[in-house]
Amino acid sequence: MTSSKTTPLIETIGLNKSYVNDEVETPVLHDINLSISSGEFVAIMGPSGSGKSTLMHILGFLDVPTSGHYNFKGASTEEKSEDELARIRSASVSFVFQSFNLLPRTSVFDNVMLPLLYNSATRVSERKDRVMKAIESVGLTDRATYLSNQLSGGQQQRVAIARALVTTPEIIFADEPTGNLDSTSGTHVMEILQNLHRSGHTIILVTHEQMTAEHAERIIRLHDGHVISDDRAFTRRIAKRGGQIK
Amino acid sequence: MILSDTARSAFEGLTRNTTRSLLTTLGIVIGVGSVVLMVSLGATFQRFILDQVSTFSGNTFEIQSKGLEEYGKDPMTLTEADAEAIAKLSTVKNVVAVIFVAKKVTYGTEELSPMILGASKDIFTNWSMKLELGRLLTDGDLKGGKSVAVLGNKTAEDLFGNANPLGKRISVGERKFTVVGVLKALGGAMGTQMDTPIYVPFTVAKTMTNKGLFVDYISLQTTGNTDLTGEDIKSLLRQRHKIDNPNDDPDKDDFIARSFSQAMDILETVTLSITLFLGLIAGISLLVGGIGIMNIMLVSVTERTKEIGLRKAVGAKRRDILLQFLLEAVTLTLFGGLIGIVGGGYLGFILTRIAARFIGDLSFALTPGSILLSLGMAVGTGLIFGLYPALRASKLHPIEALRFE
Ligand SMILES: Nc1ncnc2c1ncn2[C@@H]1O[C@H](COP(=O)(O)OP(=O)(O)OP(=O)(O)O)[C@@H](O)[C@H]1O
Ligand SMILES: [Mg+2]
Repeated sequence: MTSSKTTPLIETIGLNKSYVNDEVETPVLHDINLSISSGEFVAIMGPSGSGKSTLMHILGFLDVPTSGHYNFKGASTEEKSEDELARIRSASVSFVFQSFNLLPRTSVFDNVMLPLLYNSATRVSERKDRVMKAIESVGLTDRATYLSNQLSGGQQQRVAIARALVTTPEIIFADEPTGNLDSTSGTHVMEILQNLHRSGHTIILVTHEQMTAEHAERIIRLHDGHVISDDRAFTRRIAKRGGQIK
Repeated sequence: MILSDTARSAFEGLTRNTTRSLLTTLGIVIGVGSVVLMVSLGATFQRFILDQVSTFSGNTFEIQSKGLEEYGKDPMTLTEADAEAIAKLSTVKNVVAVIFVAKKVTYGTEELSPMILGASKDIFTNWSMKLELGRLLTDGDLKGGKSVAVLGNKTAEDLFGNANPLGKRISVGERKFTVVGVLKALGGAMGTQMDTPIYVPFTVAKTMTNKGLFVDYISLQTTGNTDLTGEDIKSLLRQRHKIDNPNDDPDKDDFIARSFSQAMDILETVTLSITLFLGLIAGISLLVGGIGIMNIMLVSVTERTKEIGLRKAVGAKRRDILLQFLLEAVTLTLFGGLIGIVGGGYLGFILTRIAARFIGDLSFALTPGSILLSLGMAVGTGLIFGLYPALRASKLHPIEALRFE
């Protein structure tokens, strides 16, 4: 870790997470050791309850590990205050959730604008342009003034992606982004994520569908909170078979 | 997050449930409205009372024989010479000796028993009585012992109705007087007392009674510190009446001396406490309104838990969430407060107008100070009762909030 090129964007060392409810401790993640570089497209796979979302929330600074280390860009994130974590979220990461999580009865435009309100790096005069660009990149320009509840599920998820893009974050976390969508809308969403990856964003995708995971160039499998495989060669294997990554 | 964005988010949060926001605001409207109503009515009442009293300028000072309090019981004690001695003090002016005459006043078939005062022209200055018709008493009237009278407005009306009283001859006891002037009505509660007396020259009144050199009353104005002058007057009178009273015990004196400013101070304190008391009672309804705000804000925080989680996920800090919800509460109370001020003020104005029909001149008092105070109370209510819900919102864990169903 002497040059910035070899410093991973995300690095976890012996990371554990357990929930404590009513004195009962539920261990969820065990000894997670991961290293993800800038620009990667990683899928996290595993059966339901294996801890995928929990891991994603920790990596995305929405939650903190119980023990172990999480270094972001080479800097330790332990002992950061809630507001410091909020600042990192605002500056560096974005989320696309399975259940969209748009503000109800609020326009597409205002929904996409939301992260900019908390992003002090964006000047007020730039906002409109950036929001419209983000909406354009998910193909919803003609729906910008619609209220969130006047859109189809696929459209809502694209709004959520536009919202994730608007701050041009380094990492986009997507938790089952196609889980609530039909296959056509799902494909459309995955194409957008692919394009984002190509334009340099780091994408971390949580899914339990093999088909969806195959869009990624690396698949990390979780089982009962343990990493059971981390397959970086996947892309090459497909390529050898003459397969197409789509 | 910049403040204008917070304000916009707060406003959008409120307008997403307009009916509920308006209903919640109603509690504040009523609360602030009643505070404004009570405080303005209290201030109107206070101003009314003080206006009445301030008919006497604050530096008017009066001395009366103790016998006046219980008429005919004690001998009269004040004399013309006392008045002359007091007039020699350097910090007094307009010293007037007054004699009361108890006689019937008749004109044609009308017969009245008003208070008849033998005095000089300065009494009108001391009591701030203004002339409506004709002229006041003059030094010439006193010197010449002329049988002229200046009538209080009410008495003039009772004797003459709409006819012009000037030049008419009225009987005071056996003696005839020519009416030379009529005073302006004071109106109001004080008016019943101040609008009835008849004023005749002191020298004439003296011949109509057998009081000798004694007088009933001395009125004067102080030109310096009223309290100090009061002390001077008292020690002068004690010396003249040979009263040993070093401890200023009013029971030992054979006269009563007091200034109007003392009376006014007491009245002002009393009426102000009444106003504050009324305001406090009204403040209780504001408290109830505030609890309503807190209740609705708590419901709102619970309902919007997911929204809070989302805002945090996209980068909102605790302070951003706290401010947004506080601003929502304050917007509700400020809005309610503004309506309450207009509504309460208007109601107070109407009530004052109605009351004015019965007790005369009433000027509605709603000061910028009390408006600001009410607005401050509204904002304060929002801050106090919005704080707990807003704190709760700001402390939500992003993931738990997002998972909330
Ligand atoms: N707040 C919590 N308290 C206690 N246990 C929790 C809590 N949140 C999650 N868990 C537990 O942690 C485990 C992992 O949950 P997580 O949501 O990460 O699974 P997942 O892999 O995302 O599953 P899915 O594919 O169904 O979304 C589950 O067993 C779950 O019950
Ligand atoms: Mg999950």
